[in-house]
Amino acid sequence: MSLFSNALEIVRDNWLLLLVGQYPNGPLGGIAATLILSVLGIGLAFPLSVLVALARLSHRAWLRLPALALVYAVRGVPLLMIIFWVYFMFPLLLGVSVPGYATMLCTLVLYEGAFLSEVVRAGIEALPRGQMDAARALGHGYGGAMRFVILPQALYNMLPSILSQFVSTIKDTTLGYVINVPELTFAANQINNRLLTKPFEVFLILALTYYAVCFSLTRLAGWLESSIAARRAGPAPVQLVAAQ
Amino acid sequence: MIRFEDVNKYYGPFLALADINAQVARGEVVVVCGPSGSGKSTLIRTVNRLEEIQSGAVRFDGQNVHAPMRAAALNRLRSQIGFVFQSFNLFPHLSALENVVLSPWRVKAVGRAEARARAMALLERVGLAERAHAYPAQLSGGQQQRVAIARALAMEPPAMLFDEPTSALDPEMVGEVLAVMRSLAKDGMTMMCVTHEMGFARDVADRVWFMDAGRILETATPTAFFGAPQHPRAQRFLSDLRSH
Ligand SMILES: Nc1ncnc2c1ncn2[C@@H]1O[C@H](COP(=O)(O)OP(=O)(O)OP(=O)(O)O)[C@@H](O)[C@H]1O
Ligand SMILES: [Mg+2]
Repeated sequence: MSLFSNALEIVRDNWLLLLVGQYPNGPLGGIAATLILSVLGIGLAFPLSVLVALARLSHRAWLRLPALALVYAVRGVPLLMIIFWVYFMFPLLLGVSVPGYATMLCTLVLYEGAFLSEVVRAGIEALPRGQMDAARALGHGYGGAMRFVILPQALYNMLPSILSQFVSTIKDTTLGYVINVPELTFAANQINNRLLTKPFEVFLILALTYYAVCFSLTRLAGWLESSIAARRAGPAPVQLVAAQ
Repeated sequence: MIRFEDVNKYYGPFLALADINAQVARGEVVVVCGPSGSGKSTLIRTVNRLEEIQSGAVRFDGQNVHAPMRAAALNRLRSQIGFVFQSFNLFPHLSALENVVLSPWRVKAVGRAEARARAMALLERVGLAERAHAYPAQLSGGQQQRVAIARALAMEPPAMLFDEPTSALDPEMVGEVLAVMRSLAKDGMTMMCVTHEMGFARDVADRVWFMDAGRILETATPTAFFGAPQHPRAQRFLSDLRSH
C-alpha cells in the first residue's frame, strides 16, 4: 500500500519532469521526447523501409545487394552497438559533434527502417501474382503498378505490423539513455538519483507508463487487424440484405 | 493482327510451347481449347509478353512483341491488348468504377473526369452501372468478371484476350459473362479466347485451335471441329468433354 502512495507522491512531485524533462529551462525530455523520437523515427523509417523493400525486390543487383547487406547487418547487430557506432563514428566522419537527439534519431531510422523493410517486402510478396499481371497487362510500368496497385494494398494490409513496429520503437528509445538523450527513462533515472531511497517506486512508475502507452497501441493494432480482416472478407452483398 | 511465328517456350527444360505457327486476323474470334496443361494459358500470355519466349516471334499488328524494346514501348503495346484473367484480378482496394478509371487516367493520361464518364458508360454496357461504387469483395464472381472486361475495354484495345474467363464462375453466372463476350464479338472485336464453353465456340468463333502438349494440333472452323475433328487427340478431347 505504501508502495503505491509513495509512487503517487513521486508522480505528484515530478510529473512535469516525467512529461517534458527540463523544458523550458533545458532540452525537451520525458514522455514528450520519447514520443517525438518514436514518431519521427518511425515516420522517417517508413519511407526508407519502402525504398529498401523495393530495392530488395529489384532484379538489379546494384540495388538489391546493398539493401540486402543493410538489412542483414542491422538485423545481426544489437541496437546498442549501432547507437555506439553512430555516436562515435558520425562525429569522426563529419568532423562536427552530433547532438544525442540526432544520433538517436538516425539510429532509430536505420534500425527500424531495416526491420520495417522486411515487413513491407513480405506484404508485397503476399499479394497474389495476378495483381501485378493485371496491372502490367493494362500497360502500367513497374513503378506505376507498384504505386497504384501493389503498395496501396500491401501497406494497408501491413498497418497492424507497422503499428507493432512503432511499439518496438517506443521501447527502443530507452536506449537513448546511454548517450544522454533526456527521454523518459533518463528522466526517471534523474528522479531516482535525487530520491536515492525509492528505486522500486520510480521504476514501477516508469514501467507502468511504458506499459500504458505500448499496451494501448498494441490493442489498437489488434483492433486494426481484425477490422482489416473483416473488410477484406467484404460486407454482405446488398441484395441479401434487401431480400430479407 | 496476332501472329505466332515458330514460337518455342520452355519452363526450364520443359517445352511448354512447340513450334507454334498461327494467326488471328483482324475482327476474327478464335477459341483455343485443349486439355489441362496443354499450354493454352502460356500461349495467350505470350501475346502481351506476360510470358517470355525462347525463340520465334509473336507479332501484334506486325510488331514483334518479344523484340528487345524499351519498357515504355512494351507498356504501350500491352495497353493495346485487353486481357481478361480466369481469376478476374480486380484491384480489391478500388471500387468497380475506380478499377475501370485507373488505367486510362494513369497510363493514357485521359483526364480524370473524362475517364470517369467513359468508365460509367462501359459499366453500363456490361450491365453494372448501379454497382459502380461497390468494391470487388461486394460483387459476385460474374459481376467481377464483367467489371474486369470493362476495365480492359477502357484502354480501347483493338484486340481482347480471354484466359478461361468463365471457369472460376458458378454455372448460373457463366451466361452473363458470355453475353458480354458475344456482344463484343458482334461489334467486330478481334478476340482470342481460351475457353471450354463449346456453345460459345460454336456460335461465335470463326476458328477453333486445338492444343495438346504445347502444340496446336488442329485449327478448323467450329462446324468442322465439332462435326468431324481430324486429330485423334481432338476426338478424344471432345468425347471426354461431352461425356461430362
Ligand atoms: N511457371 C511455370 N513453371 C513451370 N512450369 C509451368 C509454369 N507455368 C506452366 N507450366 C507448365 O506448362 C504447361 C502448360 O501450362 P498452361 O498453364 O499453359 O496450361 P493450360 O493449357 O492453360 O492448362 P489449364 O487448362 O489447366 O489452365 C503445364 O504442364 C504446366 O505445368
Ligand atoms: Mg490455363
